[in-house]
Amino acid sequence: MIVVKDLTKFYGEYPAVRDVSFHVDKGQVVGFLGPNGAGKSTTMRILAGFLTATSGRATIDGKDVFWDPIAARRRIGYMPENCPIYADMRVDEYLWFRGGLKGLGRRERKTRLGYVLERCWLKDVHRQIVGTLSKGYRQRVGLADALLADPPVLILDEPTAGLDPTQIRETRKLIRELGDRHTMLLSTHILSEVEATCDSVIVIYQGRVVEDGSLAAVRQRNRNQSLEDVFVKLTGREGI
Amino acid sequence: MHATTSLIRREFAAYFTGPAGYAAMFGFLVLTGLLFNLNLSLLTHEGPVGVEYPMQVMFGGAESPVVALVAGVLFWGLFPAVTGMLTMRLIAEERGTGSIELLLTAPIRDWQVVAAKFVACFGFYLVLWLPTLFYLPVLADLHAEWLPAFTVWSVALCVGLPMLVAGKIAFLRDGPGWLVYGVGLAGAVAVSVGGYMHYTRDANHILTLTAGIDPNPVWTSYLGVTLAGAMFLALGLFVSSLVKSQLEAWMVSLLLGLVFVLPGLLRWVLEPGSVGYEAMYFVSVPEHFRRTFTRGQLDTRPLVLYATVTLFCLFLTVRSLEARRLR
Repeated sequence: MIVVKDLTKFYGEYPAVRDVSFHVDKGQVVGFLGPNGAGKSTTMRILAGFLTATSGRATIDGKDVFWDPIAARRRIGYMPENCPIYADMRVDEYLWFRGGLKGLGRRERKTRLGYVLERCWLKDVHRQIVGTLSKGYRQRVGLADALLADPPVLILDEPTAGLDPTQIRETRKLIRELGDRHTMLLSTHILSEVEATCDSVIVIYQGRVVEDGSLAAVRQRNRNQSLEDVFVKLTGREGI
Repeated sequence: MHATTSLIRREFAAYFTGPAGYAAMFGFLVLTGLLFNLNLSLLTHEGPVGVEYPMQVMFGGAESPVVALVAGVLFWGLFPAVTGMLTMRLIAEERGTGSIELLLTAPIRDWQVVAAKFVACFGFYLVLWLPTLFYLPVLADLHAEWLPAFTVWSVALCVGLPMLVAGKIAFLRDGPGWLVYGVGLAGAVAVSVGGYMHYTRDANHILTLTAGIDPNPVWTSYLGVTLAGAMFLALGLFVSSLVKSQLEAWMVSLLLGLVFVLPGLLRWVLEPGSVGYEAMYFVSVPEHFRRTFTRGQLDTRPLVLYATVTLFCLFLTVRSLEARRLR
């Protein structure tokens, strides 16, 4: 579903992503791991079409994100880090607007809006102004937005960052449920979350893929250590 | 299509959810009100002072140095500031808060984003000018005469108008399609066909407007200011796509706007008819208004300038959004 080949991105002289290749099969939930600044967000932004890669290619469901950007973006529900949302709109207004932006007709928008409000537990705040929502609710609005057009692929950049434990558990449950219907690539720092929700992991360090495989395979390759130990070993901070 | 109209609607509505839109509207009303006041005192003045073209003072120009200074500073000093207030948030705010990431990852092309934002701010700009229509009956000395001359055409005109307005309101409020397209388009057809036939075929008209003084400067001025505004707005939109802070966007677009305003001051220095004067005339918007539009003339040179600068700035804005992806 997601195929990334030799992706490289330079910010000026600095290579944020170097020759990254991986693929995510249909129906998989993949955890995208790596320390801060490893190139996770950059890779996801390239996939979502927000940035253009310096070289290499990426396709979503066979559509190249550079050559066929509109078709590729139609197949993606993207939730950026920190969920920047227009603060002056009400939740349902915002989602209605986003539905239009994604090309949904009126009737379709209405049914999808009802669905995502229900799915992301936003029913009770649907008339509230986005700027007055707590961080947890804002994340849910972002997730609802990603789900709005019912895209086959979801790309979520740290969907649980900054949430409290209850909210993390709720979000995790939601992600697990969504995993049945959507192919998902999600980045996170919470490794227990990966073990609870993901089928496989991709670890990226200093712009390169250093580990890629199903959870079991990754553990086996690394002498059955816990994911946390594997992570620390791969990202070169052993002995801490 | 859904994408572009949704974005236009949201950007237009955003002017009414924050203070900036109201501040611009207030400032603009104060400004035009002061000019109207000045204009009236000149029109009713006895003796050698006075004004030949009332629209000229409304649009910040005058022949006598004292009035030219007051009206010019009021109108042309603040005009780029007001258009800058309309455009400063369009892209700069999105870049500042990061919401541009969600906008540019939606399935919408960059040129659609730019077009939608431009249409929205241009629409609000036209709304700013609406209240000034109240000054016109006084300035052009209009007299209205109503006759109950109801024919098929005049009734079509009268029925079509509210339908057209209903369609427009439904569009802004994202109403159902039959109301926007069915009623709105039917209203537009009824108004244009009914109005044209009523005006050309019927002997008596329901409304007869007679102007005490030449009314042509009114519509040429409004046409000019519509296109000149588009130019300043497009400049502001481009600047807004370059910076992250709204304040910076406002200040830079004000400065860039003054590039098309300040050369007008050279008219006091340069010899009329000299090459320098002619060159200055090409880029000086206040002079365009003083010399042609507000006197009821349509000069195509400034109109071409406004249209090309507008299109060029919109093109640059699209490019600047694209360039942002490559960084």
